[in-house]
Amino acid sequence: MDIVVCVKQVPVTAEAEVMVDESGRDIRKDRLVFDVNEADNYAVEEALLLTEKYGGTITLVNLGPESADKTLRSLLAKGTHEAIRLTDDHFADSDAFATARILAAALKSLSYDLVLTGSYSSDLGYSQVGTSLAELLGIPHAAMVTGLEVLDGKIKVERELEGGVHERLEIELPALLTVQTGINEPRYASILGLRKAMKKPIKVLTLTDLGLAEGEVGREGSRIFLNRLSVPPKGEGAQILEGGPEEVSQKLVEIFREKGVV
Amino acid sequence: MEVQVASPGLVREHRILRCIQCGRCTGGCPVSTNSGLNVRRLLNETLLMPALTFSPEESELWQCTTCMTCSQRCPKGIKPLDVIIAVRGQLIESGRIQPGLRDALESTFLHGNPWGKPREKRSDWTAGLDVKEASPGVPLDLVYYVGCTIAYDPRLQKLAQAMVRVLDAAGVKFGILGNEESCCGNEVRRMGELGLFEELYENNMKVFEARGVGRLMTTSPHCYNVFKNEYPGFGREVVHYSQVIGDLLKDECLLLSKELGWRVTYHDPCFLGKQNGIFDEPREVLGRIPGLEFVELDRCRERSLCCEGGGGRMWTEDVAGQERLAEIRVRDAVELGAEVLVTACPFCLLTLEDAVKTTGDEDKIRVMDLIELVAAAV
Repeated sequence: MDIVVCVKQVPVTAEAEVMVDESGRDIRKDRLVFDVNEADNYAVEEALLLTEKYGGTITLVNLGPESADKTLRSLLAKGTHEAIRLTDDHFADSDAFATARILAAALKSLSYDLVLTGSYSSDLGYSQVGTSLAELLGIPHAAMVTGLEVLDGKIKVERELEGGVHERLEIELPALLTVQTGINEPRYASILGLRKAMKKPIKVLTLTDLGLAEGEVGREGSRIFLNRLSVPPKGEGAQILEGGPEEVSQKLVEIFREKGVV
Repeated sequence: MEVQVASPGLVREHRILRCIQCGRCTGGCPVSTNSGLNVRRLLNETLLMPALTFSPEESELWQCTTCMTCSQRCPKGIKPLDVIIAVRGQLIESGRIQPGLRDALESTFLHGNPWGKPREKRSDWTAGLDVKEASPGVPLDLVYYVGCTIAYDPRLQKLAQAMVRVLDAAGVKFGILGNEESCCGNEVRRMGELGLFEELYENNMKVFEARGVGRLMTTSPHCYNVFKNEYPGFGREVVHYSQVIGDLLKDECLLLSKELGWRVTYHDPCFLGKQNGIFDEPREVLGRIPGLEFVELDRCRERSLCCEGGGGRMWTEDVAGQERLAEIRVRDAVELGAEVLVTACPFCLLTLEDAVKTTGDEDKIRVMDLIELVAAAV
């Protein structure tokens, strides 16, 4: 089962101090460390589990700068087979749609049974790249997948929707799935493994290699432009409402009316 | 998922053919009573079977606290602990280790500490204190190597703060490594992640060189142990703080005038006591604190009962229904009538404090680090 996994390298911000930079459109990254996007890590693990069971190769595809090689090597160390990095100055400022377009151009020349991506990235969190990519590739997809089972030429997936509702779908391969965190338990890549992976080649492709025009990528190729990033102002403390459901909902309605929300 | 480990290599490298199956190893192993770990059987199996099978996630090998009792007791000079660590290394290569261990190792690689905390917050504990960073031009009496757990854990930051107050009171010229301080790698080495340990060792040596470190003092016996015994070409003096405080008291650079009228007992940490022979220094320090009534636990010194904090146990999953040795320790101390259980290791402190809560003895006893008593008596 040949699988392509799209992975992104993101800053690790869980406990770090996140500050907006001078441009006002990004965060300060000079003091942050970078690692594979959490949901993509789960996608890679899922791919490894599938190839362990069914055989096949895993190709990683990343849109990122040269420094993303660090993440690609740690994923190669886990047992994935090949890595392709898409790097070009023109790719900067690409929104989710332009990103999907770039990835689609890279995937056009690959053969695969399944494409996996994380359901969202921990930095910008648009949740759009995977689904857009599927549309551009012309293959069926399911997003926010929490479980999957391979059948003959098909894949059965489980998705988690709101309110704890689960949806089950059967999709014909080749297909694209965006994978939720928690779908499995990602393995550890040892430093010895990482050292061995340093020898594996990473293929680098540029705008021209992918046959894309300048206007199709970057700011020009995007439909969403991030205007401004800001830290929300600290408000006053929370108000705790007490009483039974009827009482509390009555109080809530009064507060909404008071604040002009309703 | 199972991992196969070939035996002949282990037998050769660790000279297991010498084993007479006397059982002194398992007889002294603290976790042989509360886990499935049986060191004697492990060695026997390497001799009888061409390969051993382990479950990387669940293997009892992860219960080992690396206290080293087995290696010290073996009459044939075998180091069973080294066999356990060698197998752990292979389990790690499989990648399928418990999430807690995985996260600790990944965090150490990314952030220089196993707690998932960012490097830039490593010296936040110094807020409000005047602590300088070591630099090559400035001569110092010592460089204070704080340690990951002390730097980030709110309970343990108090130890570092107490240390600063005590060193200042004694007029010691010291500096810290600030945010450049990275994990010493003792636990990493014991978990079997040799590659990561090598990375930490190389980076730390560069930092020590660049900062002109001459004499290194640690809070934790774990850090002390790895710098003293497992950093090839370390080339500088490393001391545990109990040794430094002891000397300061003897030379009368540090004077303790406040009376602490407490009945105390002392828990010998495995990495300070049985592994590095530092038993007397903490006791001498306690002896110089006015007003203390010192009582000795039966299992003291070399026989000290391991608290189960070492060898990666801070990050392994709890096994349901397993008796905690730290609870036995707390009950022993309570039976002695001690009000304070003193220790000199951050992992011991955390596990023993936890045990005071789980045994419900919070109104009878509290756990304190040696430096906290010293600071209170200054």
